Amino acid sequence: MAQLRIDGLTKRFGAVTALDAVDLDIPDGAFVAMLGPSGCGKTTLLRCLAGLERPTSGTIRLGEADITTLPPERRGLGMMFQSYALFPHMRIRENLRFPLKMRGRGDAAAQDAKIDEALRAIRMEGMGDRYPREISGGQQQRVALARAIIADPPLLLLDEPLSNLDAQLRKQMQIELIELHRRIGLTTILVTHDQEEALSLADLVVLMNAGRIEQIGAPRDIYRKPATAFAAAFLGGANLLDVVVENGLARAGDGTALGPLAAPDGPRRLVLRQEALALRDAPRPGEATLAARIVAVAFNGATSRVVVEAAGQRLELTVPAAAIEGRAAGATAQLCFILADAPLV
Amino acid sequence: MIGRVPALAAALGVALAAAAAIFMLAPLAVVIASSVSASEFLVFPPRGFSLRWYQEILASSVYLRALGVSLTLAAVVTVISVALGAAAAIGLSRPGVRFAGALQGLFLSPLMLPTILLGIGLLMLASRYANGPSFAVMALGHVVVTLPYVVRTVSAVLARVDPSLEEAARVMGAPWWRRYWHVVLPQARPGLAAGAFFAFNVSFDEAVVALFLRAPGVETLPLLIYSKLEFSPDPSVAAAATLMIAMTVAVMIALDRVLGLDKVAA
Repeated sequence: MAQLRIDGLTKRFGAVTALDAVDLDIPDGAFVAMLGPSGCGKTTLLRCLAGLERPTSGTIRLGEADITTLPPERRGLGMMFQSYALFPHMRIRENLRFPLKMRGRGDAAAQDAKIDEALRAIRMEGMGDRYPREISGGQQQRVALARAIIADPPLLLLDEPLSNLDAQLRKQMQIELIELHRRIGLTTILVTHDQEEALSLADLVVLMNAGRIEQIGAPRDIYRKPATAFAAAFLGGANLLDVVVENGLARAGDGTALGPLAAPDGPRRLVLRQEALALRDAPRPGEATLAARIVAVAFNGATSRVVVEAAGQRLELTVPAAAIEGRAAGATAQLCFILADAPLV
Repeated sequence: MIGRVPALAAALGVALAAAAAIFMLAPLAVVIASSVSASEFLVFPPRGFSLRWYQEILASSVYLRALGVSLTLAAVVTVISVALGAAAAIGLSRPGVRFAGALQGLFLSPLMLPTILLGIGLLMLASRYANGPSFAVMALGHVVVTLPYVVRTVSAVLARVDPSLEEAARVMGAPWWRRYWHVVLPQARPGLAAGAFFAFNVSFDEAVVALFLRAPGVETLPLLIYSKLEFSPDPSVAAAATLMIAMTVAVMIALDRVLGLDKVAA
């Protein structure tokens, strides 16, 4: 019922084009992550959806209604801000009551029941009379989220909701967000610059760059099959190995034959994920190989990050720590990978 | 150790601070000391000790009437300048206001203009267009003088408010007037209180504009003290001034207790 359709959405700030003719269809109940570096337009897109920015051109439809120029106070959406935007002069209860009161939902008793229910859901019963400054950052985050959904909006917008939490709390909140979404099935749009967060939370990832959508897909697809060099580099920090295809044979920059590759002749780039690379004395059957020199090794506990030089390029790989024992900077080895598994961009 | 202040520099700093404190407090000390003098004339150092001048002014209808005029005037001026100043500061804090910088400068300019200029100008206007000076004209003159304080304190407080508070209220369904009532004004409250405090105090002891705009029956306490000083200087003048100091200190302490001065002294 509340499908979101964005058509040709453009937003210019003076000479800067923040959003460049973006088209996007979001099915009802989806959890979508808008992912990209800062300045890519993801936040502008979210603010256009909220109504806080007026698009230069294009339309936004929610269900049957064109909401492009509808002011935010009449859209009835839920939004959580990066700073949480809890009202410092109101107790937690009054913060939670605010959207109910503004939208005229029920009398005071009905609102109180709803607030109690929300406090229970975020495990903060008995804390309703505190002020925002009197609760922890994680609790503030939960109150902000509860406030965003308490009036049952058709669409939930999350602007970098977890960026102010420490790593451990962030992981915990990610799980809670997933559970919340599964429980109430609310169409949710999350803006983040954290690719891990996007991949783990969303069922649809929209990768943005320079005001345009670079790629849309399920997390697994977008990770495994990046469509562009930007997508490959931004997601998982993949290596891009320059190759030349000649008569169906791929050669690295230094001329090493890598193996057959079904692609038109010409220069190409191979996407080599860090975990798809291995360092060995000799390749296993079916593996392509390049002579490599180890530049640096960083021990991370379970894994080690290794920087190597091969075919005139620097490449990074992540390997199980045990696999690199006995090899140090300056040593040579064979850099092995399965050519057929590496996407081309 | 890094960051240690050499002993000589530290001693110099303390000496300077002490000199500044003496320079600022000495006049107050002189006035307070003179007010308890037993003599008939305003002298320093005081001769003897007596509270008779306090008794005198508290029983004097002239002093009490002047105090009444000053308090009424300050109250009226405070209400008007807080209302106007808050509206101006809130308006200027909106994003995308044209000429915001120039307008801010305009609102603050009475701070830099000589008040004597303002006094002359207002007197000429009042003589030409009103029936000469009156309580209303004097209140108007004081509003011009006190307005910058309110604009300044409210602007300073609003500049530190997270802009997403209002956006959040908007997304949650609040139309503009409810955003102002529930979010902007409560956030501006420390600035409003500090602005009101300054407006009241400045109006209460303002003498220059009042001197130009004095009208029959509108004699403020500073004007009374001034004319007493000119024609019959006795320690009652010092006693009245001491009570004014005491009142200011009391209001300041109250403001600090309720809001914290660090919050508003921006």
